[in-house]
Amino acid sequence: MIKFYIALYTAKIVRTMLKILGRKATFFPGRVAITICKDFLGKIDKPKQIIGVTGTNGKTTVCNLIIDALNKNNYKVLDNRLGSNIDAGIAAAFISGVNIRNKTKYEIAVLEIDERSSPKVFPYVKPTYLVCTNLFRDSIRRNAHPEFILNIINKNLPVETKLILNADDLISSSLGTTNEKTYFAIDKLDTDKTESDNIINDVRICPKCHAKLKYNYVRYHHIGNAYCPNCGFKSPKPDYAVTKIDFEKNKIAVKRNGNEKFAQKGASLMGEKEYKLISNSIFNIYNEAAVIALLCELGMEEENIQKVFDEENIVGSRYKEEKVNGIKIVSHMAKGQNPIACSCVFDYIRSEKGKKEIILLLFDLFDAKESSENITWLYDCDFEFLNSNDIDKIIIGGPRAQDFYLRLLIAGVPKEKLVFTEEPKETANYLSLDKEKDIYILFELYDEQIANDVRAEVKNRIQNSTKDKTEEQQISGGAN
Amino acid sequence: MLKIEVLFPEICNLFGNMYNIKYLEKSVQDIEIIYTSLTDTPKFVDEKVDMIYMAPMTENSQELVIEKLKPYTDKIKELIEQNQLFLVIGNALEIFGKYIENEDGSRIEGLGITNLYAKRDMMHRYNSLFLGKIEDIKIVGFKSQFAMSYGDNSSNYLFDALKGPGINEESKFEGVRINNFMGTYVLGPILVLNPDFTKYFLKLMGIKDINLAYEEEAVSCYKIRLKEFENPETNYD
Repeated sequence: MIKFYIALYTAKIVRTMLKILGRKATFFPGRVAITICKDFLGKIDKPKQIIGVTGTNGKTTVCNLIIDALNKNNYKVLDNRLGSNIDAGIAAAFISGVNIRNKTKYEIAVLEIDERSSPKVFPYVKPTYLVCTNLFRDSIRRNAHPEFILNIINKNLPVETKLILNADDLISSSLGTTNEKTYFAIDKLDTDKTESDNIINDVRICPKCHAKLKYNYVRYHHIGNAYCPNCGFKSPKPDYAVTKIDFEKNKIAVKRNGNEKFAQKGASLMGEKEYKLISNSIFNIYNEAAVIALLCELGMEEENIQKVFDEENIVGSRYKEEKVNGIKIVSHMAKGQNPIACSCVFDYIRSEKGKKEIILLLFDLFDAKESSENITWLYDCDFEFLNSNDIDKIIIGGPRAQDFYLRLLIAGVPKEKLVFTEEPKETANYLSLDKEKDIYILFELYDEQIANDVRAEVKNRIQNSTKDKTEEQQISGGAN
Repeated sequence: MLKIEVLFPEICNLFGNMYNIKYLEKSVQDIEIIYTSLTDTPKFVDEKVDMIYMAPMTENSQELVIEKLKPYTDKIKELIEQNQLFLVIGNALEIFGKYIENEDGSRIEGLGITNLYAKRDMMHRYNSLFLGKIEDIKIVGFKSQFAMSYGDNSSNYLFDALKGPGINEESKFEGVRINNFMGTYVLGPILVLNPDFTKYFLKLMGIKDINLAYEEEAVSCYKIRLKEFENPETNYD
């Protein structure tokens, strides 16, 4: 234990120094501690209940909602939301939560856990509950493919952890062998299909007998409800199902299915309850369903959960909408190198009403500086969705502009609708500034500053063209 | 009519590589693409096709594909002898090797058509740019893989590795070529990224007047990438 206390005190001193210097101290103290004491995460005192959140998309949103809900219900919550979601970030959170005698001050922790970090986290941190939002293809360089991610989580998953899983995702829903599982899902929607129109669907064959799977409905990529006509394998039945979505009234209905578990706890638990719809995107409805399932499993009264959602909105840097002199400008983050996230944003934009002009800033800033971006992901991503009558122009900016241009041509977008320039700021020059056409600026996570500059340039151009006053109105929404 | 058989697209479809086929479809007017699923008998068993294509897959899928193709090993060997054109990308190459070795030493027997074997290292994904050469054509592409191949391919490689590794980190020879059987770890999609190679490839299928889809734009992208890849300052890792 001497090594552990040296690690703890060193990390605490580093943390204090970083704080004095005005730094966040949400990663480095943890890295210092783990370097000194390899099993530091195992030895540090932790809250009695730990809620882990992992998955490809939606981790941060789900974590934030859970933390808000617990805070509003007077729990003392430790979290890593300001820091990193790998082992060092998690260690830094625990370090901030203990006193010098290694006693935690918190009763519950909510931790976002990077799905690739599970071999370094789960041997020492055994979540009471683990929410897995979904598993999709992500960065080819880091995550390879979802089967790889599924396998590394499975290999390290503590047997005692209770899983909260997406029944509509046949990859993540197969997590855990003997773990107790609770499933959430969204019932069939009018917009569902029976064949995926995405390039990527990573669950086309039965995981048991390898025959071709049939989908009762498919929503996007492999998300849907499937069965095997050969061996009878099928998607799991949800314990929590979103049965109705009312976009006009901003409500969803969630039904606890009357399985044995709820029947034992009492018939009152088997009803259907309404919650405020916190975002109009299907991805966030899944996130909301995951949070409702977890909070119910934690034993929180449904009335209290309803109150929590009444005060929630998903806003932030991922989606920003404003009107400048009657022209709508939308900035939408679309995680670059992640074909699923970008496809979802493209799908969202094509489904929005009205004529549009799009500025694409999806290049990798870091690769542009010292390497050459691996662009294989462009060919996993549904650029075909941007070949839409309502999209009048696509202006591509950045060092990989010509690669995006070629990809869009292959996707069938007519040449006359496309413009490219290596200089992102110049993209604004090609907009028509027609009041009938909304402007969408799609940007990669790390290109946010560039996107903000482009947005400022767009606003400048609009203002200079009309000399009218700007009216800004923040509205929530977006694809993820 | 050019006939291309795409093997097991329901599982062999990773890393954008289905667009090699879509690009050929857009570039050649008289073309038929036959998608053969795991439950079908491959077309090449009973019928002549001009090209057989297989894209990368997951590690579990490799085992399914080996199991599926094993009964046709002799037929595949015979076709290779007859100069049948194959293009196999990424870890599809490993299917045709002697075996694939896991970290624990366990082995999955391959089709044994090439003299290579592969070793997996699932916790260390290898990523790199690749600059190579076939005849006088420079090749650009990417590598992103868990396994590397080993064995002597010095007399039957596909590309000279000019920058970035060959079949493993020590090798300067990338991929395998046995007659017109071509296998490579280079991702791209390679035919979209390398218009000169695509023309070379189509010529092997007997196509004479070749106008690639969006050729001017594809050539422009190729030139930009080649310049970046040839720049000594460019980081390959």
